[in-house]
Amino acid sequence: MNFHRVRRLAEILVASQLRSGRTDSDPKSLLGRGIIVAIADVGLFLAAFTIVDLVLGSIGLTTAGLTLVVYTFAPIIPLVATAAVLIAGVMFELTNSTKFAGSDAANWLPITPSEYVLGSALAIAYSYSPGIALLLGGLLPVAIAAGLGGMYALVAALTAVSLVEGAVLIEMVRAVAQRTGSSSTGRHARLTVVVRAALLVVLILIFDLAFNPVIVLGFVNGFHSVEWVTALVPFLWSTRALIAWAAGFPAIAVAFAAGQFVFVGLLVYLAAELRRRYWVPNPTEIGELAPVGMRGHPYLTALGLSEPEAAIASKDLLGFVRRRELLPNLVIPIVLLVLLIIEGAAFAGLNSLLWVGWVVGFFALLLSVTSVGQERRSLQTLYAYPITSRSVLRAKTTAVLVPVLFAGIGMPVAVSIVFHYPWTLGAEFVLASSVGGVLLALWGLVFASRFSDFQDRPRAQFIRPGAMLAALGTGMVVLFSFLVPASAAMQSPYSAGLALGLGAAAVAIVAGALAIYLARAGFDRLFRQLPF
Amino acid sequence: MFGTVRALTNVSFTVPSGQIVGLLGPNGAGKSTMMKSILGLVRPDIGDVRVFGQEVLVDPVSVKRLVGYVPESPSLYEFLTGAEYLDFVADMYGLPRAARAERVQQFLTGLELAGHENSLISTYSQGMKQKVALIAALMHHPRLVILDEPLNGLDPRSARVTKELLRNLADRDGVGILFSTHVLEIAQAICDRVIILNHGEIVASGTVASLRERAGLAGSGLEEVFLSLTGTGDLSDVVAALSH
Repeated sequence: MNFHRVRRLAEILVASQLRSGRTDSDPKSLLGRGIIVAIADVGLFLAAFTIVDLVLGSIGLTTAGLTLVVYTFAPIIPLVATAAVLIAGVMFELTNSTKFAGSDAANWLPITPSEYVLGSALAIAYSYSPGIALLLGGLLPVAIAAGLGGMYALVAALTAVSLVEGAVLIEMVRAVAQRTGSSSTGRHARLTVVVRAALLVVLILIFDLAFNPVIVLGFVNGFHSVEWVTALVPFLWSTRALIAWAAGFPAIAVAFAAGQFVFVGLLVYLAAELRRRYWVPNPTEIGELAPVGMRGHPYLTALGLSEPEAAIASKDLLGFVRRRELLPNLVIPIVLLVLLIIEGAAFAGLNSLLWVGWVVGFFALLLSVTSVGQERRSLQTLYAYPITSRSVLRAKTTAVLVPVLFAGIGMPVAVSIVFHYPWTLGAEFVLASSVGGVLLALWGLVFASRFSDFQDRPRAQFIRPGAMLAALGTGMVVLFSFLVPASAAMQSPYSAGLALGLGAAAVAIVAGALAIYLARAGFDRLFRQLPF
Repeated sequence: MFGTVRALTNVSFTVPSGQIVGLLGPNGAGKSTMMKSILGLVRPDIGDVRVFGQEVLVDPVSVKRLVGYVPESPSLYEFLTGAEYLDFVADMYGLPRAARAERVQQFLTGLELAGHENSLISTYSQGMKQKVALIAALMHHPRLVILDEPLNGLDPRSARVTKELLRNLADRDGVGILFSTHVLEIAQAICDRVIILNHGEIVASGTVASLRERAGLAGSGLEEVFLSLTGTGDLSDVVAALSH
């Protein structure tokens, strides 16, 4: 293995990630160079260190208290590192369009599979390291004050290894997924699309649950009762090493730590073998789909759309399930619904509508705010056709509302069944969450028509970051202005409930009408001239 | 204007029905910008564009209905199959459902894409994508066709089919065709008239014969005429420098 090549490849992949996320393309800019991640690491580490140190100085914990803090949190940090990289990897690395698959540019170079896997894994681990720097920076003053410098050094080393561990796992999944994408042809291809979508849903769900602090903490607390089981799970060896160190068994700690290093080495070997086995020169999407005739869009035209509008909406709906970069958006309500049901006790009564309404609203906002930018350079295709901006707006609205209303109806129904709500309350839930979803879908289009980002790049956000934040802020204000009175109306006696319900309806009508006006103006302006 | 860059200046020309007009010029001369402005994709700061008497910026939708357009780098929806994409385009132009399948099939067969139409466009080669873009531009019987380097990536057979098809469309159906290319032999072979753009201005316009005459290069090919009219005729120094 040539480590110089590994390092150069990792540098290039990091630079590619950084530059792909920016609107300007000055290669000399600090923001486009890998060193910026190290600067962020140091900055966040020092910031966390300083803040925690100041807090410690002001609250004056005893050594026993400090030790307890370190013993409680230190074992979790390597787990969090692996989980964080896995989640980010699933969301951003595996969902890249094949056009931007990181390996494309390197496939023709004389790089061995091992060098590629290690270089790519290091690039992923490095890119996602700032979050971990923050945690380690916060832990250091506590560890120093508790006199646990040795344990801290072990945490830091194992966390670095765990970051790489998560990144190598992503590389392994990517190697297999690329093959899946390129090997399926004929009538099995449609099934492959479904399987890939389901696989992605399951992966994201598992990783998101693994990253959930409640679940992770519960898991760690359960270690004492299932010690022998966790000793058999290599992903937990870092945690086992730190628990053993804390319990005063340094030899066991060193053994688990060494085992963790060896395990990651083995993973690198396996990932390289997978890449060697499943390597394809040009990873492609699904090879062929079952023949499709010229069949029209009867369901969409039945909703009142013209043929061109239905064609655009239908194309967008297909994109949701066929485009790897859009598929994660559809997973969000499923993941959040599962979390809601797992942690159900906390979400009874008023909270459950607010929570369900928030999930549906957030889902609607995410779909709609990205619905224009996801056209990317293909937007010029729409410009070249004889359609008006209003037609595009109607099509985009429909394409967003179809999945949003599925969520807006399905989620409240599921929650009502799980928590045994009366059907009348369930119906009110459906109405309120659907209206919330529609409102945020409309507001998302307001921002999408003005601030979309059409650049072709690997981690496309489809909307400018500042606009995304503004859309989120505006959306949440609109949503809760409606949901809070609506939720209160459901729990109030008839007369008060009626007044609150009318208030919520008035908010919805005003906010909806304003969004429609602004969205129409935005689309009219957008379609006056090609924006790139 | 693009910022401080003046993309096109004092450009005025017509594309008569039944004629193929070639648009030539060095890279960055303004050819693509001009084509986009004819479709209303780019708004000129001054001046107007009329297509069949209709002002593009006043009623772009009506104009687009009459025009077929192949951009320089077609951005197709790669997550659709070729058939799905062409169906989508047919919907955009409101092609009758009964007629479109036959028309699409004719094109697919003629351009040797038949058998690939149910594959995702992301799996297509550059040439196959270009063929899809060409079919999308021609399937709705446009009266004006704007083609920005349409033969890029096409195999020789498909390039020949396309050239002859364009000639037929012009001669038989009276379609006006504006056609940009860097392959001067093609322009010489099929264009009735040639416009040479340089730095956003028309430096010459007319038949190939008239341009030869104007450049004082009677009997020369279009390449010599082009190099002479764009002021890039003497390349020996450049070649000598690059040869070291």
